Amino acid sequence: MGGIRLDGATKVYPNGVTAVEAVSLEIPDGEFMVLVGPSGCGKSTLLRMIAGLEHVTEGRIFIGDEDVTSVQPRARDIAMVFQNYALYPQMTVEDNLGFGLKLRRVRKNERERRVTDVARILGLDTLMARKPAALSGGQRQRVAMGRAMVREPKAFLMDEPLSNLDAKLRVTMRGELARLHDRLGVTTVYVTHDQVEAMTLGQRVAVLRDGVLQQCDTPQNLFHHPANLFVAAFMGSPSMNLVDAAVERDRVTFAGFSLPLPDDSPLAGETREAILGIRPTDLRHSREASPELPRITVRADVVEELGGVSNLLFLLDAPRVVTDATRAAAEAGSDDEGTLLADDQRARFCASVDGRRNVDVGEEVELAIDNTHLHFFDADTGRVLGDSTIPA
Amino acid sequence: MTAGRLERLGSYGVLTLFSLLAIYPILSILFLALHKKTDLVTGFAFPTHLDLSSFKAAWTEGRFGTGFLSSFIVAATVTVVSAVLSIGTGYAFGTMRFLGDRIVFPIILLGIIFPYEATVIPLYYDFQDVPLIHLHLLNTYWALILPQIGQSVAFGTFWMRAFFRSTPRSLIEAARIDGATSFGVLWRVLLPQARPAVLTMSVLVFTYTWNEFLLALVLVSGSQSHQTAPLGLSFFAGAVRAGDPTKVAAAAVLVAAPILVVYLFLQRHFVRGMLAGAIKE
Repeated sequence: MGGIRLDGATKVYPNGVTAVEAVSLEIPDGEFMVLVGPSGCGKSTLLRMIAGLEHVTEGRIFIGDEDVTSVQPRARDIAMVFQNYALYPQMTVEDNLGFGLKLRRVRKNERERRVTDVARILGLDTLMARKPAALSGGQRQRVAMGRAMVREPKAFLMDEPLSNLDAKLRVTMRGELARLHDRLGVTTVYVTHDQVEAMTLGQRVAVLRDGVLQQCDTPQNLFHHPANLFVAAFMGSPSMNLVDAAVERDRVTFAGFSLPLPDDSPLAGETREAILGIRPTDLRHSREASPELPRITVRADVVEELGGVSNLLFLLDAPRVVTDATRAAAEAGSDDEGTLLADDQRARFCASVDGRRNVDVGEEVELAIDNTHLHFFDADTGRVLGDSTIPA
Repeated sequence: MTAGRLERLGSYGVLTLFSLLAIYPILSILFLALHKKTDLVTGFAFPTHLDLSSFKAAWTEGRFGTGFLSSFIVAATVTVVSAVLSIGTGYAFGTMRFLGDRIVFPIILLGIIFPYEATVIPLYYDFQDVPLIHLHLLNTYWALILPQIGQSVAFGTFWMRAFFRSTPRSLIEAARIDGATSFGVLWRVLLPQARPAVLTMSVLVFTYTWNEFLLALVLVSGSQSHQTAPLGLSFFAGAVRAGDPTKVAAAAVLVAAPILVVYLFLQRHFVRGMLAGAIKE
């Protein structure tokens, strides 16, 4: 077993495109690290650089204590699970599982023991004689996972392993994966574009955009203390509400509303323009919130009733915040957003409120805003303002 | 989709017509070969009795024993050698990036595009005295084998490259991570799946080499023992042309028979190979 260390890892393709730019990351032994970002952000390329499938243009990669930057994939002692599983079609499940051990000249009885063990853990015992074509998607997924497990490698690399499964199976397998990691404790690097998967699986999550590492932290910290506008807009579903605002000492004004700022609020005491961010969960029905919180009255434009929670979408009398960062984050597609409103140039907000209270479209609703959890970002750089937990 | 009755009748009509057009000359020759000279038939005629004497006569008089042996030696060697080479080149061009790959591949393709008839005369002079090594190759099997390996590898590279490109990249990558060398990836992972593609390529090359005529005419016509079956057929037809059309027809059927047999045996693989890469699972 071993940790993985990336030291300024950079990938520039022959056509001049920089896919990964100077990523430095330390993944301790046994950690479950998720690389997340919209498509084309370089997360898969980074994973493939760790695997040795992509040449590293600059920087170094260490697995365990060994510098593997220019080591062949087969000598890196890692196992990879591919999005399309990449099972050998002409081999049976048993041969698929044992292939890597056979190539490494593991003795036959040892090989059989390990294959049988893994097959039992994954419930593949009854499928051993089948070929991949005769397996269902979930079964193929398990064989792919088993093929990685029998190798007992230093690290697992997983490239969107769940994205070919249907929605329900994906949720189950997500839980199984987490349990498997708890049990084996092997360093795992997991690539996904799905931020829900990232949040639920990762002990830490590294967010990438355009090949640049944006922030790497625990899911909780990413959610509550995003380092910049992109991370704020990308993580969380429905995504964070954003609007241009003006801070004047102890008040923040946006779209005709004015809220008091608590003393410990990031920008309290300052006077400046900023982008204000409010999580949909920090907007609540007035009657259920603490009376100290400020209120705003809005007209519900779309109501998405999800059962336990209802998403109220409403328009603000302010332009939408459109920066490269929000656009990049939106491309990743959290599909909970009201696409009906997409043509409107006004800012749209979403409030995730208690689903038991019925709200009709067009109805005026009074919402309480939790002003102790406001986020502020610099409109030009996108960096978070006044969050002392984020290193400058 | 449900087609109307008329539409279906129409398609069957067209298919029948083209099947007849394809099969008519073959049947015509076959039926002619089943007659005797004394039956005095030339065109399309149903045989009234089964008579194999034309075949026996054609086989001995045309010395097709020698012709078949030569053809088989040449076609088998060309097929096996060019299959091995094409798998190697196709694998390299289909799955690897290396210095000059984008220049070398089009050069190899020239072998398909360039009309091979234009190479026959230069080959004749070259084989009289091969440059640098000073070998005389005219009237030897080498004179037929070497140029045809050259041509077939051009086609085979193109064919196998297309196959290797159509296999998912992740399969190769998975094998590399599992511990396979480049050769291991080819031998253990890709080739077992490549069987239809390799068989189809082999059948095409074998057919083409078996039927080859011009090279044999120019390069080995001086040695009777090296003459290939199609060359023998041509000489035989020339010699007995005025005399006995049934024998010529019998000889033609004999020469075509091995190809037909190979095709029938491998037909299923053949069609699957043709479709390889065309449709995705």
